[in-house]
Amino acid sequence: MSGAVPHHTLEIRNLSVQAGGTEILSGVDADIRCGEITALVGPNGAGKTTLLLAILGLVPYTGEIRFCHAEEHGRGTPRIGYVPQRLDFDRNTPMTVLDFFAITSQGYPVILGHSKSSRAAAQESLSRGGAAHLVSRQLGKLSGGELQRVLLALALRDDPDILLLDEPVSGVDIAGEELFCEFLAQIHRESRFGLLLVSHDLSVVTSHADRVICLNRSVVCQGATTETLTPENLARMYGSGARLFSHGHAEGHGHLHAGERNAGAGGKES
Amino acid sequence: MEALFAPVFAVMDRLLPFSFLEPAFMKRAVLAMLFVAPAAAGVGVPLVHYRMAFFSDAIGHSAFTGVALGVLLGIDPLLTMIAFGLFIAWAITVVRGKTELSPDTVIGVFFSAVIALGIAVISYRKGLTRNLQAYLYGDLLAVTEAELAWMGAIFLGVGAYLYLAFNRLMLLGIHEGFARSKGVPVRFLEISFALVVALVVTTAIRAVGILLVTALLVVPAAAARNVARGTAAAFWLAVAISLISGISGIAASYYLDTATGATVVLCASGLFALTAILRGSVRRGAA
Repeated sequence: MSGAVPHHTLEIRNLSVQAGGTEILSGVDADIRCGEITALVGPNGAGKTTLLLAILGLVPYTGEIRFCHAEEHGRGTPRIGYVPQRLDFDRNTPMTVLDFFAITSQGYPVILGHSKSSRAAAQESLSRGGAAHLVSRQLGKLSGGELQRVLLALALRDDPDILLLDEPVSGVDIAGEELFCEFLAQIHRESRFGLLLVSHDLSVVTSHADRVICLNRSVVCQGATTETLTPENLARMYGSGARLFSHGHAEGHGHLHAGERNAGAGGKES
Repeated sequence: MEALFAPVFAVMDRLLPFSFLEPAFMKRAVLAMLFVAPAAAGVGVPLVHYRMAFFSDAIGHSAFTGVALGVLLGIDPLLTMIAFGLFIAWAITVVRGKTELSPDTVIGVFFSAVIALGIAVISYRKGLTRNLQAYLYGDLLAVTEAELAWMGAIFLGVGAYLYLAFNRLMLLGIHEGFARSKGVPVRFLEISFALVVALVVTTAIRAVGILLVTALLVVPAAAARNVARGTAAAFWLAVAISLISGISGIAASYYLDTATGATVVLCASGLFALTAILRGSVRRGAA
């Protein structure tokens, strides 16, 4: 999908993150290019979410994260969109999708109503994502797939340079997952932001990502998808017992899943 | 101070010609409720959303110790109660941010320590229990005009705070990392909200007492959640429920000769039950 336009790039250089005396990430070098889909894969506890948080500036790190404009050779502050893995709120929270859009954009409290501009922006970005019908639905009553579309629409509303998606298809059934990924690829073709996608699902990665970063506390390997996702590299990342299997629910491409093994110290995803 | 409220009371005489409002102390009680109930309910909406009901309970109970300390030190217990409440709110929020323990555990530890300190102080100074009665059960009918002015200031302050912080508080309750990525100053917001809650709780104790003060924050917001789908509806419904139960509770307590605070909370709980039934019938209708 890499076009003729020169790339803007988010350059990550020698990035390390420590928490509670343990090194979660060490010496990470990676590039995330605008106009490309970069997949971030790795076992549980590999530091994938931490890398996203570092890019967002939400955890302290050493090293450098810089955004380079290809034409101007200048540097700027990129707009970064973020779709978290899951939201933690009560399912009966009185908040509609429109409320959710409004609390992230308008200057006065939603209890005084929705501003015209926040309403228009919500309508527009939801329609782009084929989710216009969800605008007055209650946030907690949406299905996993619907919620993902809403979160994606919200991230796209602010016209990001880089969009970070943390496990975008967790909690979504397989049919919904493929729909979501195709929708994502389509959106991505239309507007050329850089997309960094954390995924456990290697079939999603192989069918949609241009480049792959394999992470296990440091970068194990990175490069073009087909060249990088070799059995040897997967074994290095997940351990030699990694299972790669296909299941034939979708014709055409086999569904590859990396075995969910905790490599190294394991524990919960940090 | 009397000059400040005399015109207000004159208007109340005109607009609300009820026999229970004839005594001046009843007018003061109703006006106090008109200030305190919406402030408590308004703060209660983000409080319930943010799952901090237990926090407000801990602050309410810290007031018990604040009052005991005030009496022991010979300072106005109202002042020590508010100051101690603010201190505990700040301490809980700071410790919660620095530990891996769950928020409930942190609050539970503070809760017990604070109550233990209060009991120790009371047992040290015999005869203190009588002073505490008014704080345990509330004493709305004895509200002075100086206290009314304070409650009015709290009402305005809470309104201003919610105007500035409401959206960000709701976003923070959805997902902390996501809120941070949208530029929400999480630490500042958590501490400022904890202090505002502490101010509202310690102020509302005058009306309904330590034992029931959490109800004034939580019950209207909880009742509103039963039926409201949108945030604005939930907020205004909670405020309306707090006002209705506040005023009808005062009126009922006047005629039934029951404790005012308890009667107000019973009215709010009744409205909660009503909304729960309403929710049930709406669901059955939809199915």
